Amino acid sequence: MNAMDLLLWSRGPGLGIAIGIFLFGMVLRLFEIYSLGRKRDLAPARTGGEGSGWRTMFTRSVPDRAQFKRSPVVFTTGYIFHIGFFIVLLFLLPHIELIRSISGLSWPALPTPVVDLIAVITLIALIVTLIYRIMDPVRRLLSTFGDYLAWTVTFLPVLTGYMAYHHLLFDYTLMLALHILSVELLLVVFPFTKLTHMVTLFISRWYNGEWFARKGVAS
Amino acid sequence: MNGLNGIGVKVVHVGGNGNAHAVLREIEARLQLLVEKGEEGSIDLSGLPLMPEDYDLLEETLGEGEVVAEVHSLGPTRIHETGIPGVWWVTHYNSDDEVLAEFIEVAWCPEILLTPEDDVKDGLEALRARLFELNPKSPLGGAPSLDL
Amino acid sequence: MRDETLLDTLKRRGISRRGFLKFCATTASMLALPPAMAAEVAAALGKVRRPAVIWLSFQECTGCTESLTRAHSPSIESLIFDAISLDYHHTLQAASGHAAEEAREHSMKQDWGNYLLLVDGSIPLKDDGVYSTIAGISNLQMLKDAAAGAAAIVSVGTCAAYGGLPHANPNPTGAVSVSEIIKDKPIINVPGCPPIPAVLTGVLAHYLTFGAIPDLDDLGRPKAFFGESIHDRCYRRPFYDQGKFAKTFDDEGARNGWCLFELGCKGPTTHNACATTKWNGGTSWPVQSGHGCLGCSEPDFWDGGSFYKALSTPISPVTGAAAAAVAIGAAAGVAIGLANRQTKAAAKAAHQKATIADLEK
Ligand code: SF4
Ligand code: SF4
Repeated sequence: MNAMDLLLWSRGPGLGIAIGIFLFGMVLRLFEIYSLGRKRDLAPARTGGEGSGWRTMFTRSVPDRAQFKRSPVVFTTGYIFHIGFFIVLLFLLPHIELIRSISGLSWPALPTPVVDLIAVITLIALIVTLIYRIMDPVRRLLSTFGDYLAWTVTFLPVLTGYMAYHHLLFDYTLMLALHILSVELLLVVFPFTKLTHMVTLFISRWYNGEWFARKGVAS
Repeated sequence: MNGLNGIGVKVVHVGGNGNAHAVLREIEARLQLLVEKGEEGSIDLSGLPLMPEDYDLLEETLGEGEVVAEVHSLGPTRIHETGIPGVWWVTHYNSDDEVLAEFIEVAWCPEILLTPEDDVKDGLEALRARLFELNPKSPLGGAPSLDL
Repeated sequence: MRDETLLDTLKRRGISRRGFLKFCATTASMLALPPAMAAEVAAALGKVRRPAVIWLSFQECTGCTESLTRAHSPSIESLIFDAISLDYHHTLQAASGHAAEEAREHSMKQDWGNYLLLVDGSIPLKDDGVYSTIAGISNLQMLKDAAAGAAAIVSVGTCAAYGGLPHANPNPTGAVSVSEIIKDKPIINVPGCPPIPAVLTGVLAHYLTFGAIPDLDDLGRPKAFFGESIHDRCYRRPFYDQGKFAKTFDDEGARNGWCLFELGCKGPTTHNACATTKWNGGTSWPVQSGHGCLGCSEPDFWDGGSFYKALSTPISPVTGAAAAAVAIGAAAGVAIGLANRQTKAAAKAAHQKATIADLEK
């Protein structure tokens, strides 16, 4: 198998399999969570919960000052790599083309050098979080295999994409194939690790907010 | 239709890709070598992709010199010294006037203009043969006063 | 004449010393060698003997031969072709039928072990190779016989190099490349659909001048011509970097010469010399003429999805797989949900009330 075969596989059957597993896993997860259900709340609700649910989704996404002071490194790098990851994912032209070809939606791209810079920043932020996780005894104790796996599959697509663009290590064709494969790995692992928080996070925040309102707590 | 104008194509100048600067820098370095050490060298212009703008920039910067020459062998080769003495523009064409290769030579004189030594020897013999035809009596041809 | 060196051939044709100088400079340039190597080319020309060449055409469209006979530098090119002795080429030779096959066998016998074998077209393997035969001999058999006595093989065009069009899905004839069959001879791949004539002449010139095969990449292509991608050398590259893309073939962007990535250009994954050597005597090349690169010098370029879809998009539609996955996921989710409920109900049923008295025990 040469690099071109690998690229063709990753753009063809590989992608189909990865998207299949991803969707299968996510739908399964959501059904599972939803079917767990909630106990009926017998007490009358203080206020309507919906607005509070949406509000909480937002307010909980902004760092809390007290918490920020406690571990500024985690907060800063955490925000940087999350935002960086999404800018790279959503504003590099080849990625937009992919989304357009699947969904028909598209929007303007950022200039490649800008995305390139953001990719570097994202990589650095990710490395810092890993170092911090390993160096800090409490965090190290709390970390499981799943955490390191989640970190690796997030890191690899950014790294391989950067290396492909700069023609590092391997020829572009092979590096591009590895890049796509690393994304497929991310998709496959996604529903079965903590990475599902990308979706469930908003559900649980809304749930919390709604619950706060019912109980009359400010969100 | 009248060439490109008849087609809905706008010819825009995408601008050079910076390679003209690279070539000019290399010429500078080679010229310095020629001045300091008498070392000659040449640059293959097909080695780097040059856009029309790059060519223009090269031609403008180097300018036109005093010498223009043409060699006829395997199709024409056109040579001119640029406005920078010692920098020669050498273009080899085939018999259909298509460019085969293009070089910038940094030299006292491009090699292809110099007469090859063997040709000079052959030339001397040829000349003697012709002189002999003019004046068969003299062993060296018809001009004893120019005895070599 | 067979023992003649290339220098002898040139002399016999009455080429002057300046002409020789020009020939060497042009050859060095064609081989992408630094100009200072012209002297080495000159020295080598005096040593290497002119090789016999046998050209076999298998499952192909003759486009490669067409391309080559339109090579842009007739005088230099014809010198190179004069310098080889093309003993068999069934499209170009005058002889036909038995006479042609005899010429091939004769030449093979005479230069056994020394001739250069050029092949265009792929070789069908299915059903004993009945899909392509010459004089009743299957391509497979003819290739094996001719390769056994060759000094080296040049696979001309993508079909011979990687299977090409006949090899495309579903490959009805079981077509394969030369290198799939011949394992014990040096093989130079000169892919392209068709290959750039100047590149093939360059490869031949290299073999003629140095009597050895050039440096090859991992797909068997000469690095001098296939070392860099179309995208690396593309003059539209600054637009790619700035994010300026043509969206259709006739929009403002297309007219301004912007990058063709969105229109399906495969330049980033294609290695060929189009961007530097260009086509038709340096007139232009596909991307300069406004069309994206198809990737014709890469294996399986025909199976890489639409020529007009961006490189980063899926080759085949994923919607089918996606819909199926969602359905199965939903079903499994419901099943697990039901199972969870049952567990919960069972736990509830097994629940026993505790009293203060129990706790005090
Ligand atoms: S036109 Fe093709 S080869 Fe040229 S820069 Fe764009 S993607 Fe690359
Ligand atoms: S631009 Fe691409 S598809 Fe066109 S001839 Fe060159 S390598 Fe082949």
